[in-house]
Amino acid sequence: MTRRFWVFIEQNHGEMHPVAAELLGVANCLVSEVADELKASGEEAVVEGILVGHDVDNVAKEALMYGAERIYHVDDPAFEHYLNRPYTEALTHLVEKYKPEVFLIGATTLGRDLAGAVATSIKTGLTADCTKLEMGPFRKIEKKLLLATRPAFGGNVIATIVCKDHTPQMATVRPRVFETPVRNPKAKGEIIQESFEVTPEMMAAQLVEFINDQTTNLNLEYAEVIVSGGKGLGNSKGFELIKELADELGGVVGSSRAAVDGGWIDYAHQVGQTGKHVRPKLYVACGISGAIQHKVGMQDSDYILAINTDPQAPIFEVSTLGVVGDLYEVIPEMIKQLRAQKGASA
Amino acid sequence: MSKDKLQYDVIVVGAGMAGSTAAAIAAREGLNVAVIERGVKPGSKNYFGGALYTHALVDIYPDFFDRKPPLERPVTETGFWFLSDDGLVKATVQGGVVNSDPIDAYVALRAEFDPWWAEQAVAEGAFIIPKTLVEDFLYEDGKVVGVKTDRPEGDVYAPVVIVCEGVNNLLTQKLGLIDHDLKISKTALAVKQMISIPAKDINARLGLPDNNHGMAISVMGDVSMGLAGLGFLYTAKGALSLGVGVTLDALQESGIKPYELLQRYLEHPAIAPLIKDGQMMEYGAHLIPEGGWTTMPRLYTDGVLVAGDAASMVNALHWEGTNMAITAGKQAGLTAVEAHKKGDFSAKSLSTYQDKLSDLFVLQDMKQYRKFSAFLKNHPQFMDIYPTFINDALGMFFTGFGKPKRKLYKDILRSLTSRRPLFKAIGDIIAFGRSIIGI
Amino acid sequence: MIHLLVSVKQVPDTTNIRIDPETGSMIRKGVPAILNPYDAHAVASAAEWKKKLGGKLTVVTMGPPAAEEALQECIEMGADRAVLVSDRAFAGSDTLATSYVLAEAIRKIDQEDHVDMVFFGKQAIDGDTAQVGPGVAIRLGLPLVTYAVEIQDINEEEGYALIIRKTESGKEIIKTKLPAALTAEKAIADIPYAALPDLITSLKYKPEVWSAQEPVAYDVAQIGLEGSPTMVAKSGSPEAHEPAETISVEENGLAGAVETALGKMLSNTSVAALLEDQQ
Ligand SMILES: Cc1cc2nc3c(=O)[nH]c(=O)nc-3n(C[C@H](O)[C@H](O)[C@H](O)COP(=O)(O)OP(=O)(O)OC[C@H]3O[C@@H](n4cnc5c(N)ncnc54)[C@H](O)[C@@H]3O)c2cc1C
Ligand SMILES: Cc1cc2nc3c(=O)[nH]c(=O)nc-3n(C[C@H](O)[C@H](O)[C@H](O)COP(=O)(O)OP(=O)(O)OC[C@H]3O[C@@H](n4cnc5c(N)ncnc54)[C@H](O)[C@@H]3O)c2cc1C
Ligand SMILES: Nc1ncnc2c1ncn2[C@@H]1O[C@H](COP(=O)(O)O)[C@@H](O)[C@H]1O
Repeated sequence: MTRRFWVFIEQNHGEMHPVAAELLGVANCLVSEVADELKASGEEAVVEGILVGHDVDNVAKEALMYGAERIYHVDDPAFEHYLNRPYTEALTHLVEKYKPEVFLIGATTLGRDLAGAVATSIKTGLTADCTKLEMGPFRKIEKKLLLATRPAFGGNVIATIVCKDHTPQMATVRPRVFETPVRNPKAKGEIIQESFEVTPEMMAAQLVEFINDQTTNLNLEYAEVIVSGGKGLGNSKGFELIKELADELGGVVGSSRAAVDGGWIDYAHQVGQTGKHVRPKLYVACGISGAIQHKVGMQDSDYILAINTDPQAPIFEVSTLGVVGDLYEVIPEMIKQLRAQKGASA
Repeated sequence: MSKDKLQYDVIVVGAGMAGSTAAAIAAREGLNVAVIERGVKPGSKNYFGGALYTHALVDIYPDFFDRKPPLERPVTETGFWFLSDDGLVKATVQGGVVNSDPIDAYVALRAEFDPWWAEQAVAEGAFIIPKTLVEDFLYEDGKVVGVKTDRPEGDVYAPVVIVCEGVNNLLTQKLGLIDHDLKISKTALAVKQMISIPAKDINARLGLPDNNHGMAISVMGDVSMGLAGLGFLYTAKGALSLGVGVTLDALQESGIKPYELLQRYLEHPAIAPLIKDGQMMEYGAHLIPEGGWTTMPRLYTDGVLVAGDAASMVNALHWEGTNMAITAGKQAGLTAVEAHKKGDFSAKSLSTYQDKLSDLFVLQDMKQYRKFSAFLKNHPQFMDIYPTFINDALGMFFTGFGKPKRKLYKDILRSLTSRRPLFKAIGDIIAFGRSIIGI
Repeated sequence: MIHLLVSVKQVPDTTNIRIDPETGSMIRKGVPAILNPYDAHAVASAAEWKKKLGGKLTVVTMGPPAAEEALQECIEMGADRAVLVSDRAFAGSDTLATSYVLAEAIRKIDQEDHVDMVFFGKQAIDGDTAQVGPGVAIRLGLPLVTYAVEIQDINEEEGYALIIRKTESGKEIIKTKLPAALTAEKAIADIPYAALPDLITSLKYKPEVWSAQEPVAYDVAQIGLEGSPTMVAKSGSPEAHEPAETISVEENGLAGAVETALGKMLSNTSVAALLEDQQ
């Protein structure tokens, strides 16, 4: 028997969501974690992608390059725009047909909408917003299970969840929690067209209009440099300074929830457990104390610089480097020195 | 009046200790009582040390202990601790008088006790309206006939309103029962932390035999950083409550931040080991009226009675407040019942409330301690010099081996007189005595 | 007459949480329970539409007896009827079992009095799973609109609703046939400050309590621990980190501290490369 590790390939108007690549990377890690079992049993394990949409063959090819061995593709004009019911029914159909062992879905707006419905429809367990996934032993159960770890109670607790007698074992993962695997343009694999009939009953809800909104389209998650401001700014004007530094560093503006709650900046900028999960190359935290809910959203960043007046601020626990000082002094000085350097090198 | 107006026999403002007591007593006598509380729940906005006093509780519910009240530990050891900057002298009692049956005082958590105390009032028939702020009074012919709340269609009517709004007595001021707002020289700010520590560690660190023993300690000396004030330590089951109260004006003048004060206390070498590895459960600050008699408003007017902290009924030296609030709440409740019997809610009719309190410890103590807060303010030496002296004196007494004792006593005396001339010290003691005896 | 239904949950106020350092579990004692904030906004929206169209608003929850308080709060906001589905047998239910319990309860209410729309909160702040709404919708076969930020119209006569939902890239206007389900963002409606008489009515209101047998006879294999495929294998506190190296402005002077910091930062090759690209 083949052990199938499935990834939902989310796409938007013909473009693959980067979270799909991240999940393919994780799925491959999971497969390697059961290598010993495969050896003993002689079974094989594969990573497969599930793609639903209309006219999105390019996405299928893209997914192969990130490590899917096979793509099951359902194509129908009805799938042009995402809608809960038809997508749920299509996935349910495929799961029932192929019986995957693990099924991963991105915890995006779309993925969260979909995952809960699919899990209920096939009556299996689903662990949301995981921050760690591994295949490991659980009690006396013969085969390794998916050990899905996630924060609970506002990030104060970290819990590992298993789904022991139901398959697929389902989990959702937020974008940027895992790294993007290397893209291999030469990767080969098969794309299997699946037929699925969309009934009128499934189309009870339909998209009337889409309003593109640039302010929510900040792409914070995939920015390479983020400069974030918190309550320590003291007021909304402080974000002008943050923006200035962000521009200087070629980055975008992030924030803590306290700043969002204060009405100083839009929610789209919020980093953290109830905001965005980010992992830029450089994260600069200004006037942010480093509450657990903020840290979980940014601690995977490569380089973290924190500026805070309080030497005890917990943000320093996850930082690479800290400056203890008033941001209203430190940031202007930093901008000044950065400009001077640029001037010198130009 | 368009629709049915909201009409009760009695309105109680505030579901604290005073309010829930007044409501229970009035409801018990068959009156239709509404208690209006701004918090989400009774107790949700209340903090305190603190200990509750059995005499007052049992007076309201003789079967108090059978009702399974949420109490933490009985107070089996109580007294003073005197802190110098790095030392501690304990003057506490246990056993003897303290070991009464039932025990005289119990440590409780207000967040748990207040809702329970309010439930007892509900069981007597009172109705509690939470999440609603009383903003003002309704008048007819110059007499109070109800209250105005912050909600739409929020007027509530009753011929008598019992104001138990606590220390920040805006309504009492609105009525003109007192001619000033909070006096910062007569109001203390208490900051405290509840620190959770396993019960067995608490017992080991404080030398308590088991969870049925507990402490209520007043702490003097280094704790208030020289400001007029007191610290405290109370034992809950699995937590210690530690805090400091100082008067607002002293705090303001010194520029010290409240949390600095508390931090300093918690880091004191004699205190820090008690809370080692503890987890902060709550941090709170609350005001305490300390003016006593001198800041007491008139206690009644047409259609209104005032009780508890709102009427400044606190004895700062003894940490007594809840018992006064309960006792005054009861008398206010009884007065409202009598007024209904008479059908007379005039100030004159309600004045019997004051007479009742005058016959009880409430007003007698208030009067007797009327000079205490002024005394404390004018004698800062009680906050630093004397506690330090006590530490030095006892320390020397028990370490001066090999020294001629006559010399030892001289040294001890000098450790006092170098800080405060003897005649002044004697004067201080007399002043202290007078301030608490009330002459 | 429109009949709207909101599924609400009582949750511990996670802004106020304490964790037992020994067991790693939440200390419930002293932690206030609140109506899940998203659910409160859902109720507020449903109450607005009920008022506008005339009709009825029912709320339902599955939870312990104390969840009664959350229901009272819904009555305060304008709900007419509240059902508390409460039984020890439900203890330990995960989202799959919860969606079963709620779906059957809603089915029962619908049989008595046809339901046109079922509202959920976007997610419950204790688990943040956002699974129950979609789960119930699928069980009831209802079209689902998640992340709703505005209801533009509910047209009972023609049997449709126009709902705006928010996605990552913008807003979608969805037209759905009725009956339908939605999950609400906070923006869907403001929480009203109830008039005093309404508050008093709610305080006196006693919700109906349903058990695992009556009026719905639940299949025991689908509820509680047994009906829950997921289980917590272990839980604990997040791991602690070592503090970073810090440079103090007070000790090094402003220019010096910033210079040292930038120097260190740029000695990291990947950061240096980033800023290089910039120029
Ligand atoms: C369920 C739940 C989910 C949450 N989700 C999130 C989330 O997704 N994201 C999030 O961020 N938070 C979240 N929070 C909130 C989080 O707990 C904190 O309250 C929040 O992160 C604090 O924001 P802050 O650090 O900006 O503010 P504060 O904690 O107030 O910190 C301000 C900091 O600024 C410093 N400062 C002040 N003045 C200056 C100055 N002039 N120069 C330099 N430093 C200065 C101070 O020393 C302090 O450290 C969540 C909370 C809960 C309960
Ligand atoms: C740190 C500290 C330690 C203490 N230790 C002790 C001790 O050990 N023993 C002791 O006996 N006493 C102690 N006290 C004093 C004691 O807590 C008070 O004296 C007592 O709580 C007074 O009760 P009350 O009912 O008058 O006021 P409160 O308990 O303060 O109740 C007032 C209530 O009214 C409500 N309210 C106020 N205004 C309005 C309004 N406009 N509309 C609606 N509701 C309103 C408030 O929300 C509150 O619930 C201590 C106090 C503090 C601060
Ligand atoms: N026990 C419950 N009772 C009623 N409704 C619930 C319950 N649990 C979750 N919900 C509803 O489902 C939504 C999403 O919850 P969750 O999936 O737990 O994040 C909530 O906002 C509620 O509307």
